Amino acid sequence: MDREEKQLEAVVDALIHRVSDLKNSLQTFIMRLENDYESISWTQFIDSYVVFSAQIHNLMKIVKNDKTPPLRSRVLFPLLLSPDIDEELMKLTEGRVQSFNHDMVPDYLRTKPELEIESKESAIVSKACNLSADQSQKQMTSANKIVNNMTELVKNCREEWETETNRQNQTQTSLMSDTTTLIAAITFGKGLKAMTTSMKASQPPVLSSVAPTPGPQRAGAGKAPATIKTNIKAAANIHPYGR
Amino acid sequence: MDSVSMGMGGMGRRVGAVVAQQEYLLQGSILDDSCEQLLHKLRGFCDNCDSSPETFQDHEMVFTIRAPNGSNTSLRVRKSMDVLQNPYHLRYLGQQELGDKNRATIVRNCIDCSTSSDCVSFLQEMGFKLDYEFVLKGYMFRKGRMKVIVAKLFRVQPNASPEALEPLSQSYLVELSVNAPTGQEGIADEMKLFADSLKPLVILDKVDTRRLQM
Repeated sequence: MDREEKQLEAVVDALIHRVSDLKNSLQTFIMRLENDYESISWTQFIDSYVVFSAQIHNLMKIVKNDKTPPLRSRVLFPLLLSPDIDEELMKLTEGRVQSFNHDMVPDYLRTKPELEIESKESAIVSKACNLSADQSQKQMTSANKIVNNMTELVKNCREEWETETNRQNQTQTSLMSDTTTLIAAITFGKGLKAMTTSMKASQPPVLSSVAPTPGPQRAGAGKAPATIKTNIKAAANIHPYGR
Repeated sequence: MDSVSMGMGGMGRRVGAVVAQQEYLLQGSILDDSCEQLLHKLRGFCDNCDSSPETFQDHEMVFTIRAPNGSNTSLRVRKSMDVLQNPYHLRYLGQQELGDKNRATIVRNCIDCSTSSDCVSFLQEMGFKLDYEFVLKGYMFRKGRMKVIVAKLFRVQPNASPEALEPLSQSYLVELSVNAPTGQEGIADEMKLFADSLKPLVILDKVDTRRLQM
C-alpha cells in the first residue's frame, strides 16, 4: 500500500510538471496571437502546435507508463462548494479561478464528454458498427489512397520548389563556364596564346600576339631583341609549335 | 629541375635556401556583379578586417622549355605592376597529385624563389620560350596560413600600352591556396571548411585540370 501511495505521489508530481509546461506554452501562444496577430506566419503557428502535441505526448507517456498505478481507481470529488471568493484558490491558479462554485465544478472535474458530444459520438459509433466488413475495408483502402496521394503531391512540390530556389541562387553569382575559362587560361594559357601559323615573321606582331615577342623585352637592351629574334627564327624552323 | 636550381645560383645567392613545398588549391569564380558581396564576406572572415583589402596587380609570364624527349617544363615569372620595387617571383608548379579522391583540394609541388628583373632575359637565354602571359588584378586576403585571391584575368596586348588591358571574361577568379611543406595533415580540411562558408555565393572546388586541357 505504501509503495502504491509513493508511486501515486510521484506520478501526480510528474503530471503536474508536464501540465504546467503545457500551460506555459499555451499561454505564450495565446499572447502571441493577441499581440502579434498581424505579423505571425503560418510556419510559426504550426511550430506552436507541434510544441503542444509534443507536450501532450509526454503527458500521455506518463499516464501509460507501466509503473503508474491505475489512476481510474482513484476518484476526485468535491466536498464543499461555496460561492465565496477563495483567496487560496486565486493564488494557486494565478487569478484565473476565483471560487469553487456550482458553475465551474462540472467543467473542471468532468470525466465524461459533454452531452452533445456524447450523443454525436454514439451516433457515429452505431453507424460504424452497422457497416459490413467489405464496406469498411473499401473505405479504409480509399482513405489510405487519398492520404498517400496527398503526401506524394506535397513531396513533389517541395522538391521542385527547392531546386528552383537553388538554381536561382546559383545562376546569380557564378557561371561554371566562366570558371573553366579562367582556370584553363591560368593553367594552360587557353585563350591567351593565340598562336598563328605565320610564326616566321619576327617583326612586332601585326595581329594578335605572336608569343615569342613579349612586352617586357622592349625594356631590355637594344642588342637583346636582335639576338632573341634570331633565336625565334631558328626555333621556328626546327621546332614548329604544335599548339 | 637541376638546370633550374643552377640558374638560381647564378643570381648571386647560394641555392640551399629554396624549400620544396606543396601548394593546396581550390578554385572558383564569381560574376562581376556579385563580387562586392564576396569581398564584404571575405573582409569579415579574414584577418585584418578593419583595414581595406589589399589590392594587387601582377603580370605573369609562363615560360616553357621543350626537352629533347618531348616533355615540357614550365616556369612562371610574376612581377608586380603596382609596386615596382618588389622582386620578380619565379615559381615551378608540378602536376597535380593524383591519388586521394577524398582529399578536398588540388595538391601540387611548388618551388618558389625571388629574383631580380634579369630573370626574363636569363630564362630566354637558357632556351625557355614565352608560352603565354596574363595580368591578374584584384584583391588578396589572408586567413592564418590560407590565402584568398579575388582577381580579374586580363589578356596582355603586346602592341598596345600596358594600361589597355582586355578582360578575359565577365567573372572574377577566386582562388584559395595554402603553401606548406610536404606531409602536413589537416590543411585540406581546413580549406574545405572555409570554402563551405563561402557557399552558395561562390563554389570553391578542386577542378581537374587534365580534363580542361583539351
